[in-house]
Amino acid sequence: MHIPDNYLSPSTCAVMGAAMIPVWVMAVKKVKENVPKERIPLLGVGAAFSFLLMMFNVPIPGGTTAHAVGAALLAILLGPWPACISVTIALLIQALLFGDGGILAFGANCFNMAFVAPFVGYFIYKFIKERVKSGKGEYIGIIAGSYIGINMAALCAAIEFGIQPLLFKNAAGLPLYSPYPLSVSVPAMMVSHLAIAGVVEVIFTVAIYAFIKRVSPGMIYEGAKQKIKPIYAAIVALIILSPLGLLAAGTAWGEWGADEIKNVISGGKSLGFIPEGMKNGFNFNALFPDYAIKGVPDIVGYILSALAGAAILIIIFKIVSALKKGKPAKIQA
Amino acid sequence: MTEKDIPQWLLENENYIPKSDKDTFINKSILSLLSLLSHIQRQSRHKTDLFGINAAFSVIFTILFIILLSVSRSMVFVITANIYLLLVLCLLKAEDIITILKTSFGVAVFTFIILLPTALYGNFYSITMITPKVFASVTAVNILSRSTRWNSITGALKTFFIPDIFILVLDITIMYITMLGEFSLNMLYALKLRSVGRNKNKRNSLSGIAGTMFIKSKEMAEETYAAMECRGFTGDYRIYRKFKFSFADAIYIIVNAVIIFCFIYFGGYLRK
Repeated sequence: MHIPDNYLSPSTCAVMGAAMIPVWVMAVKKVKENVPKERIPLLGVGAAFSFLLMMFNVPIPGGTTAHAVGAALLAILLGPWPACISVTIALLIQALLFGDGGILAFGANCFNMAFVAPFVGYFIYKFIKERVKSGKGEYIGIIAGSYIGINMAALCAAIEFGIQPLLFKNAAGLPLYSPYPLSVSVPAMMVSHLAIAGVVEVIFTVAIYAFIKRVSPGMIYEGAKQKIKPIYAAIVALIILSPLGLLAAGTAWGEWGADEIKNVISGGKSLGFIPEGMKNGFNFNALFPDYAIKGVPDIVGYILSALAGAAILIIIFKIVSALKKGKPAKIQA
Repeated sequence: MTEKDIPQWLLENENYIPKSDKDTFINKSILSLLSLLSHIQRQSRHKTDLFGINAAFSVIFTILFIILLSVSRSMVFVITANIYLLLVLCLLKAEDIITILKTSFGVAVFTFIILLPTALYGNFYSITMITPKVFASVTAVNILSRSTRWNSITGALKTFFIPDIFILVLDITIMYITMLGEFSLNMLYALKLRSVGRNKNKRNSLSGIAGTMFIKSKEMAEETYAAMECRGFTGDYRIYRKFKFSFADAIYIIVNAVIIFCFIYFGGYLRK
């Protein structure tokens, strides 16, 4: 579910980042208030835990393996606000040090996995646990929370992908970023998450929770024992609806002429870029007429090609010589 | 010792062949943990930052580079950016080049496959623009992570007014990924070694490993805090560092100025 850079437009990334800032501020404040000082390192250790959790491959029916995200699990074990910080840090390390998930898309990734997943998961868990008093209620809560939590996060990611072609097009009407509309992105994301990722998440969350409860029951986060107020429902609704708010925000952020925006609105649902693109006949060859790069003096084009050629040769040379030297480099699969 | 001292059963040939069992998921988990740990260990072996560039500059310009790349609609700029990255790449060590290219090509091929249907319908823009853009962004981040020590990167974050608690947590996280990673690696090895023949409890043991990891991490966190408090930690987190402007920094800034110029020039912003 890690969105790489360039799938989302920079303005979407900015909106998602801006949406996360109050959440992060609130999380830091809540953690400072509620988490005793001696437990602060736990956030880092929690982040390391959530990072490593993604390394565990769980066997799933059909012979393949998949890994869990564990956002709901962390929220249930540590509380939702610390979980938010922990997952954020884990995502930051993945983006900055492992190139997994985009730098610009960091806000969007955090929104889906560090905010939506733990909070939806936690509040559903809490809601069910307080309604169903028996021991089963707890586990039903965990199952529902972790399953719905990860699927909500996937839905948010799908919506973020899906609104890109609606909002961001070039003059020829072709999408600038992720080209698939909601009708494609939502089913594509949801089928895999409802069927596989969600199930893996549930299995792992329940199994780990049961283990910790058996071995060391005092460690699980209790939380304030209050009735779920309607405000929680409002928060959950907001979380679910807020990506849709981007539709409005996106046009405000836009770098497009008024007539283009009109196009987007008047086009309504029939934003089929595909026939449009075919009609306008986007011509790839026009980009490189006679192997020179368009819009650049020939000399610059030659220099650029020469630089690229030299760099590629050096890289190939280095790789070949490294492979000859007892293949130490091959191990880092 | 004579042959008599050896009990008879030791001298007999045994042909016990354990029933084969599926343990791909353990192997996969072990492999992903190992590659992670070796990545971190390689990082910590770096004594200094590779090009001697101030980490704050490399972080700022890498982020700026990715923003320019993402905003740009000029194919020429995207090509230039990729050439620049190839040039930087060829200054690195071969093993770094291989790892970086593996990731970048992996992501680029994935993007290409994802976008292939649009190309079949005649939209070549997405596939020709987004694929090289994704390739360049991933390469840029990986070059940053390979050429700069991680504690320099976290140190650089302090320059961007990121709250102390985030940097503290980030630092602790990187350290504990190694410790907990090694810890769970050992548990996975134990699970693999002890599962001779068919073992139906293997799947359950996996959640036990993760659960033990959580308990262990909680204990470690408390011990860490006690140790930090003993050494006078009050919750503030400061970085004392002398800011030195080196020759490498100057060159790096000039190179990046050229990239920004390319972005403006190829983007056609000068002609308007």
